[in-house]
Amino acid sequence: MFEQALLAMASVATDPYLLFLIFVTTILGVVIGVLPGLGATTGAALLLPFTLTMDPVHAIAVLATIYVSATFAGSITAILINTPGTSAAAATTFDGYPLAQKGEAGRALGVAVISSTVGGVFSVIVLCFAAPLLARVAYEFRSPEYFALTVFGLSMLASISAGGAVKNLIGGIFGVWLSTIGAERVTGIERFMFGNYELYEGLHFVPIFIGLFAISELLVQSKTVNKIVNTVSMKAVKLPTKEDYKKIWKTILRSCGIGTFIGVLPAEGATVASMIGYSEARRWSKNKDEFGKGAIEGIAGAEAANNSATGGAMVPTMVLGIPGSGTTAIILVGLMVHGLRPGVYLFTEQVEKVYQIFGSMFFANIMFMLMGLYAAKIFARVSLVPTAILWPIVFGLSVIGAYAFQGQLLDVWLALIFGVIGFFARRHGFSVAPIAVGLILGEMVETNLQHSLKMFDGAWWMIFTQPLALMFLVFAFLGLCGPYIYSLITKRK
Amino acid sequence: MTNKFYTIPLFLTIFSIIIIGISLQLDTSPEMIVGDSMQARSFPIFLMILNLILISVLTFQYKKNNPEPIKLEKFPTWGSMGLFFIFYLLTVYTDMFIGIFVVMLLMGLLWGEKRIWVSFLTATLTPLFIFLLFDFVLKIRFPRGILMDMYYG
Repeated sequence: MFEQALLAMASVATDPYLLFLIFVTTILGVVIGVLPGLGATTGAALLLPFTLTMDPVHAIAVLATIYVSATFAGSITAILINTPGTSAAAATTFDGYPLAQKGEAGRALGVAVISSTVGGVFSVIVLCFAAPLLARVAYEFRSPEYFALTVFGLSMLASISAGGAVKNLIGGIFGVWLSTIGAERVTGIERFMFGNYELYEGLHFVPIFIGLFAISELLVQSKTVNKIVNTVSMKAVKLPTKEDYKKIWKTILRSCGIGTFIGVLPAEGATVASMIGYSEARRWSKNKDEFGKGAIEGIAGAEAANNSATGGAMVPTMVLGIPGSGTTAIILVGLMVHGLRPGVYLFTEQVEKVYQIFGSMFFANIMFMLMGLYAAKIFARVSLVPTAILWPIVFGLSVIGAYAFQGQLLDVWLALIFGVIGFFARRHGFSVAPIAVGLILGEMVETNLQHSLKMFDGAWWMIFTQPLALMFLVFAFLGLCGPYIYSLITKRK
Repeated sequence: MTNKFYTIPLFLTIFSIIIIGISLQLDTSPEMIVGDSMQARSFPIFLMILNLILISVLTFQYKKNNPEPIKLEKFPTWGSMGLFFIFYLLTVYTDMFIGIFVVMLLMGLLWGEKRIWVSFLTATLTPLFIFLLFDFVLKIRFPRGILMDMYYG
């Protein structure tokens, strides 16, 4: 395993075209990350159609690079203009911006760059070892286990991104329902097509994701027209000093563990990881009073956690086909579009491709570190591009990207319709990520339920007699009802 | 704009009931095909029943917490949605690229760009660049219209 990983790393390092792609995509990812509103998910959704004609490894490397570099880049604007480029960088503003206001923006960025890189590299190493091990466990899975696992994944939607648990679950169910549109796979019965035969094979993920993430964000951003941004000046990024390292190394290590663990959990992501990383940094710090006023441990805690969550989130995505966030949902679609079926098969039949993807993520981390250290100042200026120029470009990219996927105008209309649906959902406090995850998991849930019923001659309760399936269902139940039961118990006490 | 606490739950309930109604009208498969598995209608109905349960919890939460009224968005938001419709008309009756150009230009102006030439350049160069990339590099054919008929011949 270790040998294979090293060989794959070497093959990435000796593939100039792949390295060039990672380099260009890292620049693009950092630009996307610093532009408030765009973020890794929207960026990946917009780029997905451009990867259609690429070699599968190159295509997924591009999407994964966007993921890691945009997640890091959100911290640049979080520190310099108090506006997190991505939601994962929200916790970085707590101490990053106050430190920048004190005239130490360069130091704040230096800590953010180093912490993010350590977090990202750590999670790639964990990914290289954990993913094949989990794949071996998943080899034992049959339909009942997969059904229970997808139910567990859907239950975790309760805590995904913004919005309350109930709203997220309603969004997830809506997404699962969307997956039933088209011909039913066993019987061929047409469902919710209303005579539109272009929908016979169901809704395709790409236009729906472009609509939910890019178009809906465009409409959300239309509310912030003419917003005035306060910037902090900075001369250059400063690497942390010996004293700084002494202060933050424990925090970075702790956040690496937290971030990777949270990333691995289905439907949890970098935003949750950074918040927990930050609060744990504060809890363990000797200088709690400095937090909120420019503590470098706060920046390190949040940044190491959010970047280590990126590698962690790739574990369930690639091994089980269960995305850990909106961005990994898009990467999962990328895998499917390019014929890389996530799961055990990927780790047995196409293992060298898997390690090449991991290797690409490793190099992406190194490249964004160099860009963060030497070009953060330039990238920060990108964030000042007027919205009146940026978002019309996003519109153009979205509609052409939606069309290019299958060469159907219907996909363009679907992208626009789902953009409006996504906007209204967000307007009323529903997050769009659960809809996307539900759409992906929907087919898995229904198909595995059907197979399980056939396996047990219609006796659905037999699913509970399978130990692994039962374990996942118990986890799902605890995930959904645990907090309520806990609060009831503590109230009685 | 004031929002009654039941507006969203009511909308979602109506949606769920409609889906259940449509599902009940779906064809059924013969026993020899379905066997011990489930009919095509069963899964969507099951989902919507789950949805109705969650909606009742949401209604309870809304009633308890009384959500804050949502302010009506300003013209750029509704105007942008209107531009989507204009894009649809222009794409169907003229050409997709004319639609993209017009919408990008108007969206820039609607969002407060005062330099018309900047919006004009953005609206011209972006689709042109994307077209060249998709046509020459990715070999994707675009839908026929006034411009594409001239290009493809």
